[in-house]
Amino acid sequence: MSKVYTWDQLFSRRKFIKGAVATAALGATGVGALAPKSTLGLDSSAQTTGQDTKYVTTICEQCVWRCGVIAKVKNGVIKTLEGNPNHPNNLGKLCPRGNAGVEAMYSPDRIKFPLIRAGARGSGLWRKASWDEALSYTADQMKKIKDKYGAKAMMLNSTDNLSQPFFESLLKAYGTPNYGTQRSLCFNSMTTGFLYTYGNPQPGTDYSRCKYMIFTGRNLAEGISNNETQELIEMVAKGVKVVVLDPRFSKTASKATEWLPVRPGTDSAFFLAMIHVILAEKLYDEAFVNKYTQGFEELVTEVQEYTPEWAEKKCEIAASTIQRIAREFAAAAPAVIAHPNWRTSNFVNSFQTERSIAVLNALMGNWAQPGGLIPDQEMNTAKLGVLSHPPFPAAQGIRLDGVPWKYPLVPLAYGVIQTMRDNILSGKPYQAKGWLISRQNPVLSIPERQKTINALMKLDFVAVIDIQASDTAYYADVILPESYYLERYDGLVTIKNKIFIRQPVIEPLYDTKSSLMIYKELAEKLGLGEFLPYKDEVDLLTQQLKPFPVKLEDLKRDGHYEVENFKEDHSRDFEFQTSSGKVEISSSIMAQMGKKAVPTWDEPPRPEEGHYYLLTGKTAQHTQMFTQNNRWLLEVFPVNHAWLHTSIAQKIGVKSEDDVVIESDVGKVIIKAYVTEGIRPDCIFMVGGFGHVSKGLKSAYGRGASDSALHKTVTDPISGGSALSETFVTVRKA
Amino acid sequence: MAVRMGFVIITSRCIDCDACMVACRSENDAPIGHTRNWVKSSGVQGQFPKVREVFQPGNCMHCENPPCVAVCPTGASQKREDGIVIVENSKCIGCKYCIVACPYDARFANPETGKADKCTLCWHRLEQGLEPACVQTCLGKSRQAGDMNDPASIVSQLIAKYPTRVLLKHVGTGPNIYYIDEAVPEIPKGK
Repeated sequence: MSKVYTWDQLFSRRKFIKGAVATAALGATGVGALAPKSTLGLDSSAQTTGQDTKYVTTICEQCVWRCGVIAKVKNGVIKTLEGNPNHPNNLGKLCPRGNAGVEAMYSPDRIKFPLIRAGARGSGLWRKASWDEALSYTADQMKKIKDKYGAKAMMLNSTDNLSQPFFESLLKAYGTPNYGTQRSLCFNSMTTGFLYTYGNPQPGTDYSRCKYMIFTGRNLAEGISNNETQELIEMVAKGVKVVVLDPRFSKTASKATEWLPVRPGTDSAFFLAMIHVILAEKLYDEAFVNKYTQGFEELVTEVQEYTPEWAEKKCEIAASTIQRIAREFAAAAPAVIAHPNWRTSNFVNSFQTERSIAVLNALMGNWAQPGGLIPDQEMNTAKLGVLSHPPFPAAQGIRLDGVPWKYPLVPLAYGVIQTMRDNILSGKPYQAKGWLISRQNPVLSIPERQKTINALMKLDFVAVIDIQASDTAYYADVILPESYYLERYDGLVTIKNKIFIRQPVIEPLYDTKSSLMIYKELAEKLGLGEFLPYKDEVDLLTQQLKPFPVKLEDLKRDGHYEVENFKEDHSRDFEFQTSSGKVEISSSIMAQMGKKAVPTWDEPPRPEEGHYYLLTGKTAQHTQMFTQNNRWLLEVFPVNHAWLHTSIAQKIGVKSEDDVVIESDVGKVIIKAYVTEGIRPDCIFMVGGFGHVSKGLKSAYGRGASDSALHKTVTDPISGGSALSETFVTVRKA
Repeated sequence: MAVRMGFVIITSRCIDCDACMVACRSENDAPIGHTRNWVKSSGVQGQFPKVREVFQPGNCMHCENPPCVAVCPTGASQKREDGIVIVENSKCIGCKYCIVACPYDARFANPETGKADKCTLCWHRLEQGLEPACVQTCLGKSRQAGDMNDPASIVSQLIAKYPTRVLLKHVGTGPNIYYIDEAVPEIPKGK
């Protein structure tokens, strides 16, 4: 057996600097070159644009928004990243995370070659392996599991990566029904709420022409989606009315015209009361309602009791405010949006919240109107060439995550990842044996971290594909190192009539591969190579480009290709893909299930005396649990804090930066306090993604605390969404 | 008229995302632990639920009467003809007088070079016809830079149209960052 290494031995900084000329060069240029005007340019090494400098256009992967990037490369080293002005997702700008892409590229904590576990699982002992060995080992384990327990005993997880379609091919070819996306931790209630109202899980929003916006869980100043964040800033600058419902004074709230600190879990009371006012005062779009919706009369009956006065008692927003906003909103229609959001308040009633938001929009008649909701853009997107492969075998067995046998309304493509985890532990309806995880970090993302670690420990086999030793990779048996996004190809992306490419800016620094090739080579070792029918990345991209009169080299040079004479088709904007073909104010599917078919009030639990709602959310400087090891981002956001209202801080005798102990039914963390007037006194907020347990993330390890250590596992039975905010905690001075 | 380079910063358009800080670090290789620019927060002011918070980006003010230049014993700190205040590294002896003299705390001692370090208004980018890195990346178009003496520049047009303020006016440094706090619906065209 080859030598066993710990993380420190594998990736010591000293060793790294010695071995990587590139990084040494990166540190040496720059500040030494400042000279007075007379000698400008003569000795400025970093700034000349000689033949040794090149620019490469590609796509960012610091989050999943897929912004266009132009990388500046000098002497083979990536110097800076700048936004691509031709990309609609970011219009030439990059957020802090996008700007920091260079740091992670040259991070000493990159995984530089395949690793196979050499001690107990989670011991942090590894040995170096060749790709052939690591892939053969993975394939052998997957084959063994399939032969002995059936393909269903293997779970395959990945979320929203650009090569996701090829991951899905691997999954389907292998034949397991167990597909784990992380969507149920994010916006299942929004997608199902809108799906069962409009037949469209995620309509667009016409920010630029909107006159009145209500956000209830879309914090664009901190959960940056680059072009939409820019749109938010422009709306505020133009004086558009922006109302933010949030128990916490977020940065979006600080820019808004009105901040309403709603009680967690009660947003739907606010919206039901708005609907009450709009119906009572006949402020809705009667023509739209008559022509395109079903269930209006049922709604009238349902919301009768949901008066603003009733809602005030629930959501703690003044009845007069609700009434005023309802009238203002209706007066500005149809250029108004009650935003579909991403997460709302993360309660089991969030599906009802999203349904009431969807219905409020319908009453405004803002569908496909300037400044309103935008119908599905899928049909107005250029179609890439598809690869032909044999038909996939039928997946055998029911899914571990309860879809659809426990959660009949959750689409298969979303799943319920927290239930998948729970059923690894329960062994029901059957025992899972293996897990292949591509670029997810369930240890930090799913509630009850310890349970997720226990689940990993219970399995026969765990393989992780990642660029760094995520907390989940730390518990793996094999780590297949993916090339960094600036070193690799992924599948092409289309946005309307444009095709974009992610391409290597420089050759991989280490012995890593693109996920396209990892999936492909793994499929080959499994005897399933025909399902991923491409020789290499260039061959795949060439096949995807086949329908268009453009060569791959041209696409690579320009970074994008614009399909000529592409006509947007709006003829089907008003064909709703619901059971009735109408906008379903009353949901056919809910009625079939024997449930209340119109949006309704569902009383959420509230914390007992001495307990607080635990809220979690994003910061602009980090992406979920993926970027906390990036030292440039740690410079601007080094650690998460527990936000405490001043009165609570006084009560327990703490000031900002003091350590506090936060405890829930399932866990306990120590975290620094941030004392503020910008939060409801009954809430404690923390940014997610900190508190890493992997010692392979040297800069992130031990920083801050993880919300996953505190969160209880509570699932909305309709949408499958994880009701994160139904965790109540105590707080005391540490 | 002589060129007078400076910034206009529209605080109402800043969301405190700190993209400017990371872009500057990337462009200028600022060492970890130090930064050439910043975004400061007022903190949450007022009482729940009547609160507000304002964000104020900043960096070297490229002052008209820069105290850092006056105290520099070697002439390393200097104001260029175009108004940009720089440190000529070969002349800097690392005495740190300038760091103490700056009322805006805009300078630091670079541990890698031993020299005083600060915002250069990305003059190397200006020469190539590019905006400073912090301006280029700003999602809110909050940061603008240009020639304050050219009436056609974006900064001059903004100063002409909106009320502005400068920081520590009474110190007499003549700072060349002009802050606009009110809403600016549209950024004027210009250079």
